[in-house]
Amino acid sequence: MSTESSKKRKPKVIRSDGTPTEGKRNRSDTEQAIEIEERRIQSCVHFMTLKKLNRLAHIRLKKGRDQTHEAKQKVDAYHLQLQNLLYEVMHLQKEITKCLEFKSKHEEIDLVSLEEFYKEAPTDISKAEVTMGDPHQQTLARLDWELEQRKRLAEKYRECLSNKEKILKEIEVKKEYLSSLQPRLNSIMQASLPVQEYLFMPFDQAHKQYETARHLPPPLYVLFVQATAYGQACDKTLSVAIEGSVDEAKALFKPPDDSQDDESDSDAEEEQTTKRRRPTLGVQLDDKRKEMLKRHPLSVMVDLKCKDDSVLHLTFYYLMNLNILTVKAKVTTATELITPISAGDLLSPDSVLSCLYPGDHGKKTPNPANQYQFDKVGILTLRDYVLDLGHPYLWVQKLGGLHFPKEQPQHTVIADHSLSASHMETTMKLLKTRVQSRLALHKQFASLEHGIVPVTSDCQYLFPAKVVSRLVKWVTIVHEDYMELHYTKDIVEAGLAGDTNLYYLALIERGTAKLQAAVVLNPGYSSIPPIFQLCLNWKGEKTNSNDDNIRAMESEVNVCYKELCGPRPSHQLLTNQLQRLCVLLDVYLETESHDDSVEGPKEFPQEKMCLRLFRGPSRMKPFKYNHPQGFFSHR
Amino acid sequence: MERATQLAVPLGQTEVFQALQRLHMTIFSQSVSPCGKFLAAGNNYGQIAIFSLSAALSSEAKEESKKPVVTFQAHDGPVYSMVSTDRHLLSAGDGEVKAWLWAEILKKGCKEVWRRQPPYRTSLEVPEINALLLVPKENSLILAGGDCQLHAMDLETGTFTRALRGHTDYIHCLALRERSPEVLSGGEDGAVRLWDLRTAKEAQTIEVYKHEECSRPHNGRWIGCLATDSDWMVCGGGPALTLWHLRSSTPTTIFPMRAPQKHVTFYQDLVLTSAGNSCRVDVFTNLGYRAFSLSF
Repeated sequence: MSTESSKKRKPKVIRSDGTPTEGKRNRSDTEQAIEIEERRIQSCVHFMTLKKLNRLAHIRLKKGRDQTHEAKQKVDAYHLQLQNLLYEVMHLQKEITKCLEFKSKHEEIDLVSLEEFYKEAPTDISKAEVTMGDPHQQTLARLDWELEQRKRLAEKYRECLSNKEKILKEIEVKKEYLSSLQPRLNSIMQASLPVQEYLFMPFDQAHKQYETARHLPPPLYVLFVQATAYGQACDKTLSVAIEGSVDEAKALFKPPDDSQDDESDSDAEEEQTTKRRRPTLGVQLDDKRKEMLKRHPLSVMVDLKCKDDSVLHLTFYYLMNLNILTVKAKVTTATELITPISAGDLLSPDSVLSCLYPGDHGKKTPNPANQYQFDKVGILTLRDYVLDLGHPYLWVQKLGGLHFPKEQPQHTVIADHSLSASHMETTMKLLKTRVQSRLALHKQFASLEHGIVPVTSDCQYLFPAKVVSRLVKWVTIVHEDYMELHYTKDIVEAGLAGDTNLYYLALIERGTAKLQAAVVLNPGYSSIPPIFQLCLNWKGEKTNSNDDNIRAMESEVNVCYKELCGPRPSHQLLTNQLQRLCVLLDVYLETESHDDSVEGPKEFPQEKMCLRLFRGPSRMKPFKYNHPQGFFSHR
Repeated sequence: MERATQLAVPLGQTEVFQALQRLHMTIFSQSVSPCGKFLAAGNNYGQIAIFSLSAALSSEAKEESKKPVVTFQAHDGPVYSMVSTDRHLLSAGDGEVKAWLWAEILKKGCKEVWRRQPPYRTSLEVPEINALLLVPKENSLILAGGDCQLHAMDLETGTFTRALRGHTDYIHCLALRERSPEVLSGGEDGAVRLWDLRTAKEAQTIEVYKHEECSRPHNGRWIGCLATDSDWMVCGGGPALTLWHLRSSTPTTIFPMRAPQKHVTFYQDLVLTSAGNSCRVDVFTNLGYRAFSLSF
């Protein structure tokens, strides 16, 4: 310390010595030296006390610091403890609140209501006496009961699951069994085919037909169903079959079929732009027409067998875009027919079914909506296409259940079974009578062309035994020629000579007298009688306009035709009418009053027995033949 | 496009039959009702049709006005003649004469009031009655027809009083000469005979075919129609239509018509005639001018 202080002092002394030294040098150096020494000793003691004080101060400081430090540490420890405790307190409080807020899962469970619980639970669980007072116990008991119930239900559920598994397995097994059955049944069916044929029960065939029938368009389907039903129920001679390609029919339904016209339009226009030099407009129109008149690929064939083994084959087609049915007809006979020249049109497919019902000529489409479609593609009338497509007769539409009201064109006409059923029987009967009458006429024409009027034995009573006038010619004429004849004007004016009728010319001769008869044969023969118009060339030309007796002769065959019908089905009408004309000509010629101014005998002596030659203000000849007395009288 | 040049009606069996009937129909007789409003016509099928003349002649006449008001089957055979009294319509055809009440005739299902058949000689064939004539002064009806006789029937009692014989062939037509009550009859034998009703004897006979001016041998000699106006007579048929002066029995005028005439009447000073053989009744309002036709 002292060295320190001395070291410290020395520089101080030096410094202090430095400055004041100039003032005090003269005084006595000895006094000064002693004083300096004293002062130095004093200063050294002072320095020593200073050091000691410094030391003491430092030690006290250090002690104080240590003490503070310790106290501080203690305080810190207590502080920490306090913090910990406070933290714990907080934690505990939180825990407490958590606990208080804790919703036990048991509160989320819907327990059964108290009453039910007490009712249902067994007493060892419910322990009513304990639980009633103690809600805690009560809840526990309820939970117990819940648990038990759940366990029981879980058991049941597991049982049911296992049952279900079992049953599913059983179903699988049975399905396999059934699927293996199908091929076996098929093979049995195959094997039974010969048996079916033997017993005339073609179930297999019928089944296949029904399969194909599912692809038929609705009108054809109605027709098929009704015709089969009618054939099975009423008429064994009717057989129905379906022809055509089922695959094509199926293919029709894949793409949507609306606005076909527009599509073909745009397609055609594209074609037009790519192929420039072709006459595209005509081809385009032609294609559109073909598209419009397209037939459904399936068709229904109905065969009607008549008594004499002749068959009428009818094929029904459905025109899809026009929504109408058409039919093509063909008649085949048991033996080959030699067609006489005049009978060309009788059985031709074009006209054999014409006017089955009055006015149903089948040359115009029955659906009024078709007219608008036709205008689009430039078709004037369906008449040009009927040979190809078949005739759209009204009765065909009715058999397919299609009904077109006359006035308004309807958008959708649905095929109606009841309409078809109500017309089926009449139409089939009419078809049969038509075929048979045409075949009868066919045979008769062959005979007429040879100049023989074939009168059957059961109609002989209508005529006297001796008939001198003979039929020499029987030819067919066309409608226009008939209209040109001068003696047919009345019939034409009365509207009885339409273009659906067949026209014939017969020539009866006796001596110099020639009787020409123009015949209108209505397609509805023989319910509608043939109409005769006469022109007699003998001593001038006599027709119904200048000779009342010619008119009476016409009346005898035209108006009194019912007597000449003969036995049903009155196929003899035409031949009887012709024979009667011969008889009438005989009577006319023989009863002609002799002209006194002309010389010579009568050309035709009277051979017929007549009571009176003239009667009434019109002076008619006796044209009525009386059987069996054999004389002629007046009506 | 199809176009129908004539009726485009689909013809079933009944329509065709009716059309054929109409084509071959002949109207033989007609008579006007006493009130003048209705016309009855009889045809060869034995039907009588009543037409309403007032409706047909009125200014608002439509097609339906020219159709009959009612049609019914009167006789089995043709209705050859009809006359009207003030209350009855008498029709005759196949051997019988029937009477119908005009008041009842328009109702459906009308029945005849009475029917009579004159006593015929032959029974093999029933002769027709071609002509009826009313003699109002005696209230009797004269029938003539197929049995070549004229029968007179009293309308009150319905009995047949006289039968006048003389014709050799059947009688076509009758006419009444008012002043001296005489009946003229023309027949198939070509003679016109005048009968006096009081004495029931034949007074005069004119054999028309023997006169060269009017005879037409190629047509025959029969007399189809007669009309008389006391001094004058018109007759026609096989021979040409001629006007005769009765007292002198000479033909005076011969009408130039080709066809044999069926009906003729005097009306005031005009002669109306028709040779109709269709189902139409031609109404003449003026000579030679045909106004319209009534159709059956």
